[in-house]
Amino acid sequence: MIQEVLLRLCDGFIKTIELFLLTLAGAIPLGLVVSFGSMAKFKPLKFIVRFIVWIVRGTPLMLQLIVIYYGPGLLFHQNIWGMGTSGRFTAVMVAFIINYSCYFSEIYRGGIESISKGQYEAGQVLGLTRRQVFFKIVLLQVIKRIVPPMGNEIITLVKDTSLARVIAVYELIWAGQTFIKSDGIIWPLFTTGVFYLVFSGLLTILLSKFEKKLSYFN
Amino acid sequence: MKTSSKILICALVLLLCAAFAFAGGKKEASSSDKAYVAGKGTLVVGITDFAPMDYKEGNEWIGFDADMAKAFAKELGVKCEFIEIDWDSKSMELENKTIDCVWNGMTLTDGVKKAMATSNAYCNNAQIIVVNKAKAGALKTAADAKALKFAVEAGSAGEAAAKDNGYKATAVETQAAAVMEVAAGTSEACIIDSLMAAAMVGPGTSYPDLTYTVALTEEEYGVGFRKGSDLVPAINDFFKKAYADGSMMKAAEKYGTQASIIPQK
Repeated sequence: MIQEVLLRLCDGFIKTIELFLLTLAGAIPLGLVVSFGSMAKFKPLKFIVRFIVWIVRGTPLMLQLIVIYYGPGLLFHQNIWGMGTSGRFTAVMVAFIINYSCYFSEIYRGGIESISKGQYEAGQVLGLTRRQVFFKIVLLQVIKRIVPPMGNEIITLVKDTSLARVIAVYELIWAGQTFIKSDGIIWPLFTTGVFYLVFSGLLTILLSKFEKKLSYFN
Repeated sequence: MKTSSKILICALVLLLCAAFAFAGGKKEASSSDKAYVAGKGTLVVGITDFAPMDYKEGNEWIGFDADMAKAFAKELGVKCEFIEIDWDSKSMELENKTIDCVWNGMTLTDGVKKAMATSNAYCNNAQIIVVNKAKAGALKTAADAKALKFAVEAGSAGEAAAKDNGYKATAVETQAAAVMEVAAGTSEACIIDSLMAAAMVGPGTSYPDLTYTVALTEEEYGVGFRKGSDLVPAINDFFKKAYADGSMMKAAEKYGTQASIIPQK
């Protein structure tokens, strides 16, 4: 029994890791784009981007999942996700990446705006273009500063993946819960906590290593 | 750094041990559940919003199960209190003593019988296929539905019925979610309780385009208590009495479930 449970939990855990990695791969770059939008000099663009960020940060991720997956079919009688499990997974990815991009974008914005004007001016004096100033001088320092808040969000993401089960993506918590329904045993659900703890423990170690590596100015 | 990661690993190993200790832990039968309920003066009934068995009218829970639960509490001489629970956690709620019974059109499956002590069956139910009206005409037998893509509640009798009939089915969280899948077109059909289907789809509901067709399996509803609870014989006696004096049928007629009631002898 224990073996079967662990096997099934591992299946769920693999799905959880997939959700986690793909969300990061999508949201880390997209967040930078969103942060540029929310700092744009062109007022209408800035307004639209900040409006979207407000909507996404202001509603529960669980609701966003339901709206993104069921919304098109219920409102417009046009199911855009197809009927397979891949459609569900895609819908979860879309919802997670949009949600986390918005959170990341605010962290980026805070980081970018914290760089003093002198850094830009120094770059200009040296004859660098605006592009070069951003990528060679500013971004480097931004990354250093945003590692702790990004770490926070990344660890939150580990646990947010459990929301995917509301549209029947079978991640770790779902795997634990099925044993309650089919066999009437509850310990698998509690055991899922160990998986999350080990995973976020490893991430904590990784993040602090990364932070140490970046402390080259000290 | 080194020491902190060592401490972390030790903590995790300890937690793992704790989790397995949970697995080995034995459930002790309480001395007398009846005395426990009488002592605190309330019977806490775990339910979900599930018309026509338990549902809200104004601030009060009504429905066939709700009315019977109130009568049973009266018989025990205690107050009846309803608490909405997460259906997946019903056995945990029972063992945790946050509820005293589950009384909510609960199908007596093997899983349920393993997880709790159950009363005699009091109501028949069927697992029924719900589809869009446009597809209903072509559905006459269970075999006609083979090509459809189904949504079913995970661990439900509907999921078992889908497996038995060889349907392609996706497990979702609740019966309500399964119906929403059909309405959104993310699945073509779902299998839910016939009593629920009668209340949930068709004209006058949020799903006027849906309808129910073929019945797959028959099943029975029962009330769940903690393992080894002495409230089980008490409720079986209560059912017998209520059936004999006609009060059970009267409650059933009020909610349109009279055709499904199982005689209590």
